[in-house]
Amino acid sequence: MINYILKIEGISKRFFTNKVLDDINLKIKKGEVHAVVGENGAGKTTLMKIIGGIYTSSEGKIIFDGCKVNFSSPQEAINSGISIVHQELSLVPKLKVAQNIFSHREPVNRLGFIKWAELRYKAKQILKHIGVDIDPSTLVGDLSVGMQQIVEIAKALSQNAKIIIFDEPTSALSEKEVNLFYQVINDLKSKGVTIIFISHKLTEVFKISDKMSVLRDGKLIGTRKTKETSIEEIIKMMVGRELGNLYPDKSSHIGEKIFSVKGFSRKAKFEGIEFDLYKGEILGFAGLVGSGRTEVARSIFGAEKPESGEVILEGKKVEIKSPRDAIKNGICYLTEDRRNWGLFLEKTLRQNIIAASINKFVNKRGFLKNREIKEKAKHFIDYLNIKPADDKILILNLSGGNQQKTLLAQWLNAEPKILIADEPTRGVDVGAKAEIHKHLRKLVESGVGVIIISSELPEIIGLCDRIAVFNEGKITGILEKDATQEEIMKYATL
Amino acid sequence: MINDKAKNSSQLIMNSSSGHLSRLKEILDTREIGLLLIIFVASILLSIFSENFLTFSNLTSVAIGMNYDVLLALGMTLVLLSKGIDLSVGSILGLTGIITTMLLQAGVSILFAVILGLLSGTFLGFINGIFIAKFRINPFIVTLGMMAIARGLSVILTSGYFVSNLPEGYLIIGQGKFLGIPNPTYVMILFVILFDYLLRKWGPFYKAFYIGTNPDAAELSGINVSSIILAGYVISGFLSGLAAIFMTSRLAMGYAQFGLGAELKAICAAIIGGASMGGGEGSIVGAFLGVMLLAIINNGFVLLNLSIYWQGVINGLILVIAVTVDAIRRARKGKSRV
Amino acid sequence: MSLNEKFRTITKVKNLGLLTTIVLIIIGMAIFFPRFLSPINIEILGMGFVQEAIMALGMTLIIISAGIDLSIAGVMPFSAIMVGIFLNNNFGITVSILLALLLSALVGFVNAQMINRLKVHPFICTLATLTTLRGVNLVITKGETVTGFPPAFYFFGQGRVFGIPFPIFLFAVMAIAFTYLLKNHKYFQQVYFIGGNINSARYSGINIDRFIIFIYVLNSILAGIAGIITASQYISANTGFGIGIELRVITVVIIGGVSLSGGKGNIGGTILGILFLAIINNTFVQTGAPTYWQEVVYGSMLLIAVFLEEYIGAKREGTGVLKRWREFML
Repeated sequence: MINYILKIEGISKRFFTNKVLDDINLKIKKGEVHAVVGENGAGKTTLMKIIGGIYTSSEGKIIFDGCKVNFSSPQEAINSGISIVHQELSLVPKLKVAQNIFSHREPVNRLGFIKWAELRYKAKQILKHIGVDIDPSTLVGDLSVGMQQIVEIAKALSQNAKIIIFDEPTSALSEKEVNLFYQVINDLKSKGVTIIFISHKLTEVFKISDKMSVLRDGKLIGTRKTKETSIEEIIKMMVGRELGNLYPDKSSHIGEKIFSVKGFSRKAKFEGIEFDLYKGEILGFAGLVGSGRTEVARSIFGAEKPESGEVILEGKKVEIKSPRDAIKNGICYLTEDRRNWGLFLEKTLRQNIIAASINKFVNKRGFLKNREIKEKAKHFIDYLNIKPADDKILILNLSGGNQQKTLLAQWLNAEPKILIADEPTRGVDVGAKAEIHKHLRKLVESGVGVIIISSELPEIIGLCDRIAVFNEGKITGILEKDATQEEIMKYATL
Repeated sequence: MINDKAKNSSQLIMNSSSGHLSRLKEILDTREIGLLLIIFVASILLSIFSENFLTFSNLTSVAIGMNYDVLLALGMTLVLLSKGIDLSVGSILGLTGIITTMLLQAGVSILFAVILGLLSGTFLGFINGIFIAKFRINPFIVTLGMMAIARGLSVILTSGYFVSNLPEGYLIIGQGKFLGIPNPTYVMILFVILFDYLLRKWGPFYKAFYIGTNPDAAELSGINVSSIILAGYVISGFLSGLAAIFMTSRLAMGYAQFGLGAELKAICAAIIGGASMGGGEGSIVGAFLGVMLLAIINNGFVLLNLSIYWQGVINGLILVIAVTVDAIRRARKGKSRV
Repeated sequence: MSLNEKFRTITKVKNLGLLTTIVLIIIGMAIFFPRFLSPINIEILGMGFVQEAIMALGMTLIIISAGIDLSIAGVMPFSAIMVGIFLNNNFGITVSILLALLLSALVGFVNAQMINRLKVHPFICTLATLTTLRGVNLVITKGETVTGFPPAFYFFGQGRVFGIPFPIFLFAVMAIAFTYLLKNHKYFQQVYFIGGNINSARYSGINIDRFIIFIYVLNSILAGIAGIITASQYISANTGFGIGIELRVITVVIIGGVSLSGGKGNIGGTILGILFLAIINNTFVQTGAPTYWQEVVYGSMLLIAVFLEEYIGAKREGTGVLKRWREFML
């Protein structure tokens, strides 16, 4: 008899009339690292939230450690030994590490006063247990995102979790932090803690999981032992069909120089950044998180101010002091953080599509040309295959992939000469990812210069014609398209 | 949150593609229609219970009473729309009134005094806007500070006394009539139509919807966020100044406490009309109807000889009801959300 | 940790700035107006601001939780009026006070319910109750002043404990208790989680709704106490009490360094803020400057305090990047 710590039997979840999870059956062994993969909207996060007591299921039951459980709040789940490390960190930046680890479970005396010394001591113990050296009195807001993630894990451990659920744990971590994270996972596993985690990064899933389950459209497609499956099989299960070539063909013709950046510097962020962009090529910015790629892009775009440096577009020097100047000159920037910096979630698809180009849709006296706006929105919905094809739907009702396509539409609509796309496929499912890649390639072929910033090396290698590698605020090498992952990593960590 | 108001405002600028019937349904589902219905019902009830309600003189007096609040509520709607708030409108009204009337007393010509008055209101709004849009300080705090400063200055300038003995020519602005309807009413209607049209159709104003929804994304979309936010406070200051001129000329005096508490009334009306504290929503016609609803109810109290003391209670309850209805509506629309 | 240190220096300097200003004013006043430091004047100074001070304690909690409560300006006269009415109907002092406080608490409960249930911004919810309450006050009193308080009731505004005026004594006791509780008590600490990151609070199992009820009820009760003290001071109660007081209370709290975006601040800062405005207030009394100037000075102080904190602070961090818009907007 195998000892299953968690058995999920016939779980379904409906939001109003919409069935998000449909009869999920899953068994997870004690001490197993179990990955849950699937496209956006497949129901992974919902399933995890049901296990963690944040949502309640509409049907079915969960058997945890041999007992049927029915959590009605995250607190109950935590008390039973199931903790979630959330995708958006759930820490309070203005409080100390120790307070965050023991949030609402601080050691107190009989009158409810916090015993500070004991709190610090206990926090220190747990951090030591994980093997990191963080002062428990540090404010969480002063830690790097990676360290914050570690604090989250410490929090889960302090709850004596038997199962820890991670939702996209590494999406914001630097390479070094990712390795520390893998170590912690292995360590936890050896101590008999069961790990369930959601990830979009299949390479990562293959590296650390024992088993993986694939969800699609709210149904469990299958569970495989990691050793006995392949990336191709998992992708096929995820999208329900074979993807042909993952990336579009590379450029057939590289033309003249259209854009260059010279001597870009900003104290403590980046220094002496220089590169050229040629017609018909996609230039990739590779590097670790925090290597200065996004800052350079935002500075070119005028969203931040560089201390020195110039931008030359089509042979002429351009002055860019604000995003407005950049857009006027045809330099566009597609942000890495669509929810906070890119989209207008409570506005309609149509309004979002014209957001960066309102000035193109007004007449001489500044009045909106509604017919043109409507036609343009319809055009982009068809062109990018945005679903649902209703230009009056609010963006927050769209899936991640369709939101990202909307963001792309927003910038295509601004008719860029140069488009800098920062993590253009972050948090996007495999199908939409391929579509976005195809459109970026098409854009280049129409004569637009495209720069891609991506933390996924396969994407950089698969899509780009040349690769500029960033390392601690400098470009350490510009590689040709046949570069390997090892080569890039060498320049990135030099 | 799903918000229908945002949807409505967008729908207004766009021709529905999904048939006339659904278009009609959308229009009927708007806040403005709801308010209009309530006003209609309230008016019918009032005209049943009081024969004085539907008289020309009564309606004129309601219109005059609304005039100041409408101007302030227009400015408030613009400011709320761009994710701000302006607590200083009442005080700016007070101070501008004092400045204008004192200039008149000092013998400055009417035209000049009015222009200087409007300029001073605009300038105070500009100061608010600079602190908020350029220095990026919380609008609640900035306008709270301005509220205290402007009110304090009004009292200092007058030592608490009335400023009276204003020239006849000045009084005509507020007291004069054309075709039996008071001058300020024309101006009010003109402004409502103008601002409503501009907000729905004019690029620079329309961008405020984007700013209120996500100011950071608006900035990256090339929208000149600080200028548009600044413009909102400047306009709000100007409209407060205009209201001050109507009020002082109508009442033939300047007084330091004019406009006391007007900011809360203006916020009330704007919120009832569909604006939200979260920004990105708001309707000029809605705010106008919000003021109208409050005015008609107050009028009802007068006509029915009810204790005017109940007015405050009713106004507060109306705000509660408006907010509740909105919450329910949001929850209902949430059904479409996955 | 350099950022950490930087952050700490800025906060320290900020409180230091306020403290220095207070000390400088005190020294200056003591030199030019020797009376300033006399026991009588210190008492006047304290009594002139004690209502605001008491209410600021609760408002600190509310603003740290990223909320706001305008309704206190309605609760304060409401409680004063109600206690008067109960006393006039021979309910006895204890019962009258308890009933008045209970009714005040009810207002806080209504606020909290609206915030929790309707998910509407606390500004709007409490604006609604403020407007309603002002109306209620007028309806109850018909605009007239309530009088006829029994002499035994005078104690709460005019009596003395250990030679200290009762209101000041009460404030001092509450201030010490609030400081200690907010710093060290598990239940009070929840406010930092709720204001700092509501999701964190939710996932930590904090009962947010109940805590919101707690702080709004607490805040209303404090406003009720301020009302009773005022009634006892003036031996009368009318609807004019508390006009604009909500803004003075908020000003005190903000000057004390509590951030409107929530999660940051403490009672110590608020007490400094109270001290500061109380001294400014008293300076006017002592110098015989027209009291009209007070409001102008309060307003300017608020703007300067926030300007120094937000703008200069941001500049000092030296990133060259202005704050993101959403960090400071409502």
